[in-house]
Amino acid sequence: MGISMANQLTLEEHNRPNTNKGVTSFGYLQIGIIAVLAVMPFIFPSFKLMDVMAKIMIFTIVVASFDLLLGYTGILSFAHGMFFGIGAYSLALILYHTPNPAWYHIFLAAIISLTISIGLALVISFFSLRVKAIFFAMLTLALAEFAHILGVQWTSLTGGEDGISFVLPSIFNFNESLGTLFNTPINGRLMVYYLILLSTILLFASLLQFIRSPLGRVLKAIRENEPRTIALGFHTFTYQMASIIFSSAVASLGGILFAMWLCYVNPDSVFHTSIMVNILLMVLIGGMGTLYGSMIGAGFLIIVENWLPGLLKSIAALAPENIIVQNMADRWQLYFGILFVLVVIFFPKGVIGTIRSKLSVHPVSTN
Amino acid sequence: MTTQTLAITANPKFKTRLNWGIGIGLLLLPLIWIDLVTYLTLTVAGISFGMLIFLIASGLTLIFGLMDVLNLAHAAFFAFGAYAGFTVLNFFNSLGWIETASLPASLFYLLMALLISGLVGALLGVATEKLVIKKVYGDHLMQLLATVGVSFVIVEFLKIIWGVNNEVVPIPFGFQESIIIYGVFIEYFRIITIVVGVGIFATLQYLLKKTKIGIIVRAGVENPEIVRTTGYNISRIFTLIFAAGAGLAAIGGTMMAVFNQAVDPGMGDQFLIFALIVVIIGGMGSVTGSFVGAIIVGLSFNYVAFLVPKMALGVNFMIMAVILLIRPKGLFGKD
Repeated sequence: MGISMANQLTLEEHNRPNTNKGVTSFGYLQIGIIAVLAVMPFIFPSFKLMDVMAKIMIFTIVVASFDLLLGYTGILSFAHGMFFGIGAYSLALILYHTPNPAWYHIFLAAIISLTISIGLALVISFFSLRVKAIFFAMLTLALAEFAHILGVQWTSLTGGEDGISFVLPSIFNFNESLGTLFNTPINGRLMVYYLILLSTILLFASLLQFIRSPLGRVLKAIRENEPRTIALGFHTFTYQMASIIFSSAVASLGGILFAMWLCYVNPDSVFHTSIMVNILLMVLIGGMGTLYGSMIGAGFLIIVENWLPGLLKSIAALAPENIIVQNMADRWQLYFGILFVLVVIFFPKGVIGTIRSKLSVHPVSTN
Repeated sequence: MTTQTLAITANPKFKTRLNWGIGIGLLLLPLIWIDLVTYLTLTVAGISFGMLIFLIASGLTLIFGLMDVLNLAHAAFFAFGAYAGFTVLNFFNSLGWIETASLPASLFYLLMALLISGLVGALLGVATEKLVIKKVYGDHLMQLLATVGVSFVIVEFLKIIWGVNNEVVPIPFGFQESIIIYGVFIEYFRIITIVVGVGIFATLQYLLKKTKIGIIVRAGVENPEIVRTTGYNISRIFTLIFAAGAGLAAIGGTMMAVFNQAVDPGMGDQFLIFALIVVIIGGMGSVTGSFVGAIIVGLSFNYVAFLVPKMALGVNFMIMAVILLIRPKGLFGKD
């Protein structure tokens, strides 16, 4: 299995000396990143930059929660994008259908989407007990396609392919201005930005806590050797179920943040398979089973996504007559696909995974 | 008393009879709500739809059953085949042959389209196997990921070459007629679909079970080392299987393009869901299983689509869930 390389990773994680005394250099890096993200809207008041950063943060969460499933539990579920979509649609539908939404409607959406996704995750994990990994992948893929079709066809509820646009309540309303600070307008969008930042920190920390907990250690043990874990007396199903439920819940919260940032959802933007492909690619680039890799993966992909189409257009402008060249410039997703295959074949450990295995040329052999 | 009941239910003959009874009972169940003529029309339509799905599912299950590779790029091969067949028919149309074709001539054009798209699909399969799949043998996770990437690339290529919008497929004139038997309305193309589906099922069974190639292929999956020592090139055999699976998907694509009278780049995803349900119902790796599964899905989809249109796909999901609960390996699945 492809888990063999992840084997080494966990060994390294276990062998790494515990450096929890005081703040490490890595800790400073984390604080630095948070600080930069926090002051960025005031130093560079550009909408484009803020948009990119907000999307990177949201996808960091979604990708990290997927990594919990794929990298730490060894489950490949194609339904993860569906949970993201469930979160986005719960918020959109509630805000769209309430006449005068207030701030607590956002909480209501969070509770509803958590209930739905936990219920669905329970059903999915119930099936995962009975079927093999490869079967599970097919089952979840079929389910995800079903969700997309439901989103398109259930027009009376979801608005079909046109999607739903809505207005956020109270201080999150984009048109509401609360004055300016250092030439930056304090408006609803800025509030949503800080909400995303705060949620990202909290959710990422809880994911980290989850994998460091005794529960997370059992999950890694299951990934490495399930029969042995069963023999040790662990009820592996319960642990896998916990992992599926937790990661799905986090993904649906990510979906809520995504919908808040765009104030618009449609089936293609949240339920489509290409979202799932993007999430997979982000996990792979960052490195499976690393959690921090999700930041690098999300950051890389979203920055490229924002910058590649423009670059391709300027290249295509050199040959304005040739229709194939024009089309090749339009379909920038093609290059993502090629990158995806190349990463899977030649770079399966991802950035963080490769760095870790380079660092562990001198493994700690004392324990 | 209990031991007696147990003895009866454990009796394999009784079990087979019970299964047949349940199957036929379920098949006739829609008659409660649908009158006989409509029911028969729907049944023919359902079987022909099932055969179309079988063409996709058979390649998927063949590649999985023989090579232990779950090929998620299969839907992309299917869409590619649809466009290949569309291009061939379009070429005939530009020569002015399509619009006036008699039934035999129409059949000939369809056969040409199927052959060419099957060949091109098989070539694409060979390229995919040599470039990508070969690197990830034996690693399910990496196979899933790599084939997702391949599927993405192929669909984007379709969009680059043929554009993102759907195109109308020229249908040979001979197929536009239909026959009416006792009030049951049957289009010619539905009969052709059923013939093609059953023909491919029979060919596959014959090739795998009765010929030397089939024996080598099955032995090569069972124990590659031994087969290699007897002088057969295993890696070439695997390439051959993958090409055959891709070719089947492409043929299915062309059939679907004529059936729907349209092609669009996303069509693979729409039918992948049916193929996945069929393969899960029938049991991974079993060609017979996908044949039966495809008929189940085709029929139930058509009946429900007639009664409650919006529930059609949902009912297929429910059937899949029930079958998985009773038999986690699928109807014909083995360990």
